[in-house]
Amino acid sequence: MFPVLSATLILLLVGTLLTFVAGERARWVALVTSFAFLGLAAVLLYDFSGFAVAHGIELFVYPETYTWISLPWMHIDYAVGVDGISLVLILLTAFLQLATVIYSWNESKKPGAWFGLVLLTCLGCFGVFVALDVLLFFLFWEAVLVPMFFIIGYWGGPRRRYAALKFFIYTHVASIVMLVGLLVLVFYSGSTSFDFQSLQATAGELAVTAQVFVFLALFFGFGVKFPIVPFHTWLPDAHVEAPTGGSVLLAGLLLKLGGYGLIRWAVQLLPGAIPHVQWLLYAVAFASIIWGSVVSLAQRDLKRLVAFSSINHMGIVLLAIALYSSLGLLAAVLLMFAHGIVSALLFMTAGTVHHSTGSRDISKLGGMTPRTPVLATTIMIGSLASLGLPALISFPAEFIALQATWVGIGYWVLVPLIALVVTAGFYIWMMQRMLFGPPRGLPEKVDDVPRHEGMAMGILVALTVVYGLLPFLLVNLIVSSPVVGIPFP
Amino acid sequence: MTVSFDGVFAVAYLVPLFPAIAFVVVGLFGTRLRRLEWGGWVAVFFSGLAMVLSLVIALGEGLNPGKFTDQTYTWLSLPHSGTGAFPGGFSLVMGTLVDPISALMLVVVNVVGFLVMLYSIGYMHHDKGLPRYYAELSLFLTAMNGLVLSDNLLEFFLFWELVGVCSYFLIGFYYEKPSAASAAKEAFLVTRIGDVLFLLGIFIYFAVYATAGAAPGWAASGFLFTSNGHPFLGTLVGTNTPLLTVAGLMMLAGAAGKSAQFPLHVWLPDAMEGPTTVSALIHAATMVAAGVYLLAVTSLFLGFTPADQLAIVAIGGFTTLFAATMALVHRDIKRVIAYSTISQLGYMVLAVGAGFTMVGLFHLWTHAFFKALLFLAAGSVIHAVGTQDLFRMGGLGRKMRLTTIAFAVGGLSLAGIPPFAGFWSKDDVLGSVLSQTASHPLYWPFFLCALITVFLTAYYIFRAFFLAFSGAAPRDASLPEAHEPPWVMRLPLVVLSGLAIVAGLLVFIPGFPNLLPGANVPPTYGTADLFLSGLSTALGVGGIGVAYSLWGNGRVFALPESSPFQPVRRLWLRLYFMKDAYDWIGLRGVYTIARAADFVDRYVIDGTIHGVERTFAELSRRLRKIQTGVVSDYAAYVVAGLAAFLLLLIFVAPWFLHAWGV
Repeated sequence: MFPVLSATLILLLVGTLLTFVAGERARWVALVTSFAFLGLAAVLLYDFSGFAVAHGIELFVYPETYTWISLPWMHIDYAVGVDGISLVLILLTAFLQLATVIYSWNESKKPGAWFGLVLLTCLGCFGVFVALDVLLFFLFWEAVLVPMFFIIGYWGGPRRRYAALKFFIYTHVASIVMLVGLLVLVFYSGSTSFDFQSLQATAGELAVTAQVFVFLALFFGFGVKFPIVPFHTWLPDAHVEAPTGGSVLLAGLLLKLGGYGLIRWAVQLLPGAIPHVQWLLYAVAFASIIWGSVVSLAQRDLKRLVAFSSINHMGIVLLAIALYSSLGLLAAVLLMFAHGIVSALLFMTAGTVHHSTGSRDISKLGGMTPRTPVLATTIMIGSLASLGLPALISFPAEFIALQATWVGIGYWVLVPLIALVVTAGFYIWMMQRMLFGPPRGLPEKVDDVPRHEGMAMGILVALTVVYGLLPFLLVNLIVSSPVVGIPFP
Repeated sequence: MTVSFDGVFAVAYLVPLFPAIAFVVVGLFGTRLRRLEWGGWVAVFFSGLAMVLSLVIALGEGLNPGKFTDQTYTWLSLPHSGTGAFPGGFSLVMGTLVDPISALMLVVVNVVGFLVMLYSIGYMHHDKGLPRYYAELSLFLTAMNGLVLSDNLLEFFLFWELVGVCSYFLIGFYYEKPSAASAAKEAFLVTRIGDVLFLLGIFIYFAVYATAGAAPGWAASGFLFTSNGHPFLGTLVGTNTPLLTVAGLMMLAGAAGKSAQFPLHVWLPDAMEGPTTVSALIHAATMVAAGVYLLAVTSLFLGFTPADQLAIVAIGGFTTLFAATMALVHRDIKRVIAYSTISQLGYMVLAVGAGFTMVGLFHLWTHAFFKALLFLAAGSVIHAVGTQDLFRMGGLGRKMRLTTIAFAVGGLSLAGIPPFAGFWSKDDVLGSVLSQTASHPLYWPFFLCALITVFLTAYYIFRAFFLAFSGAAPRDASLPEAHEPPWVMRLPLVVLSGLAIVAGLLVFIPGFPNLLPGANVPPTYGTADLFLSGLSTALGVGGIGVAYSLWGNGRVFALPESSPFQPVRRLWLRLYFMKDAYDWIGLRGVYTIARAADFVDRYVIDGTIHGVERTFAELSRRLRKIQTGVVSDYAAYVVAGLAAFLLLLIFVAPWFLHAWGV
């Protein structure tokens, strides 16, 4: 059996190391690595369900376990494996890594370090999605933090130091609380193993109070990454200051770590706690949904607008998870994929708007459509996708999420539905001000989309349309995998 | 002799596909052609193909009516599990459904679509955005045909949103005009309110039917439109009436958004910022009628509860009168016709609500032709004189004979004068609602609304007619010399004029009333209840007479300042202050809340965090001072710390461990 997951990890690790020392050729190394990653992801997809059947595996496919640390009182493995949920997010990682590398092809400020850090971020995310051991998971989780800190802190805007520090402190504090939760889970469950599957077998025996405590600690830890209101204020600052590539990875991948972690390490391990904390999850989800969309309406910086819309969308993800139904989980994963693609696309357009006009201020720009038709069209596609236009990627995900919400909690579905109107409002209003009307605030010479940036956006637009028209490609992947604890549909 | 049309029905998907080809070709290559019109001709050609195929399909349905479904494409599917909320699985299949009403709609969409495409060659010839125009219009035809052929509610919603976004782009076609960009936004957002409620309705139907349809066969059948009345419908209406009532109301909300019914009507008059051709196709004949079509298919395949029906009748009947009053006073020729459209859509909603689905669709059918005709005739006027202000026009009848005749035919049809098409359908609506008043006395006020509107309709459309065409010369002498448009614009006027005269004869085709089993059709078609027919005709003629006496022969009627009707007139001109209310709530209210929330986000939420940060900085500055360097101080800290730890261990720890079950 070819250890394809370890091979991918090694590929990304080697690629990262080579990139750091490759100097001017770093971009080519990064590109080759990205394509190889995509190729290995395709290998993972190919015969994914067939593999499970052939090997009689019930939970995680492509499993690998090697003993790492073995002591009388604790046993830590290098354990990896994937199911449908992680596979969808791995696919997202591969797509976004490729798109980011192409988008920032002409990065001139320390290109070796830049591409190396981009690859390292994606390596960390991939690790999080495949790790099945508490410590291994935590290692990758923290490994994501460091490159992103430097990406914001070195390549960022004027207030980059503040933003990078804020990002680091917020997510790090959250990580510590999460670690406490995970360690309590391990040690109190009476098991010496840090392995996901053995934890799953023992976690249910904990007293309910303990389960609730651990769940809340994990929820806080993962929630800050979502981010949930009121622990979200690091996100707009980080996005505004981050370079475009950083924003793409931040919105496209890092936020998904929170959603993935919550599903894998909280919901699947501690289903007993859910009835006791569900009201809190709903409350936080509704707060994020409403707050994200309403505050977006007041934003003037395009990047801040997309950042707050991310809070809204991730709120819907949280809502779908909180429903604790198979339909909800399916929707949560689809939504994360959709939001990963669409928010990455929108952050790319924001970056290009900044390059070509020197500003991202919605209230100062106007009438861009005739001057930069390609860019304007891309912004329109991204906005329409984000507000849930059918035939584009977000619609099937939102449809299933809200259908599941209706089935789960009835008329409360009106909260996200009304937020959908507000979401449409701030996108449509942004388009009216920035793209339509008489030209305003544009310099004499405005460049339309440069070639590499256009290629990167083209990839994401294509994904938006393809998965919007053929959502079953993703759905079949998720439902064909045995999802722990919750039968589909 | 029976001819099988199954082969034709099986390729019904080509009807939306033809304009889709035009969309791709014109969208990608339109700007690179040597002459921009060529792209237009490509679009005309493909919409022509779509029209021919639709006519063949309609002929097939006419000869042997029935349902033909083709479910080929599984969009998304979850397996049958037997447990959970969707025991039968969750299968969303996209396919085509050809039945009598979708065939009827196909003819409307593609005939008007083709004529408008052709007309636009002349109307838009000077516009640099021609490729964009034709690409967007072709995409609209694709989406609209897809909507008509949908065989399930989700597919319907998908195309419903797509026609909305096409409408958004076409209203904002002249996007450099701030008013056009603003009108496009308004249209999108107001219909969006209806759309999310429509979505809620879909959720309810899905969940209700899924619970009932635990059998595996349910999921495979997609969703509902395919079967003639759902097998579970009968039992559900009995058992789950409140929920189904809500679902029906949500369908009404969706329809009200799309078909511009009160209180979501405000966007349609502003949508006149788009090219007149777009108004004719999208905002008169087809897309705005999609709301009525939604109510029709819902009433046929899902069914409304009596409470739903009353709500639909009330909204439709009230909108009929409400919109007509606003049409009485406006100066902009397109806005007058736009209010008229809202009012006429009210008739259709009224009929469907009263249970006469086929009557509502019949009025949709005639209205599509005469209203498109009115818009295109108005477009011909605007094309010639370059203004939409009726008070600047006048005397155009001498210069534009064909356009004048076309507008008059459209006006007579709208006013419901026999034997024009509008007479038959409007009379049907009135007759059918009247027939229900005996068993539903609450329908009476809405029937009266509809009846009064007959008079108002005739008045306002002929007021516009006389203002534009009668008299000796334009009131504004600076207008350019009027001229007849080129043949590409004249031909659609001629064809639509013909249709506006004869389209009403559809009801005399044997079997037409029985095309839809279960759709309540009155047997009379305006012939039996002679009193009602006479009354409505008299009202129509009276309206024309009043319009002539006030505005005929170039007269301009000015309401005296002292007249007691002045406040009413002002109220109508201000649109009952509803647009102001929307602006106030939507722009000022919500935006103020958003600004306040943004302030809270920056200074309260983030401020608290910064406060914590400052507190810790201050705390550490103070705590530093206990590092005195004196050993005896440190010894005291150690002793105190140890004591605290022991206390914790003795008193708190046992409780803690107990609570955790250790």
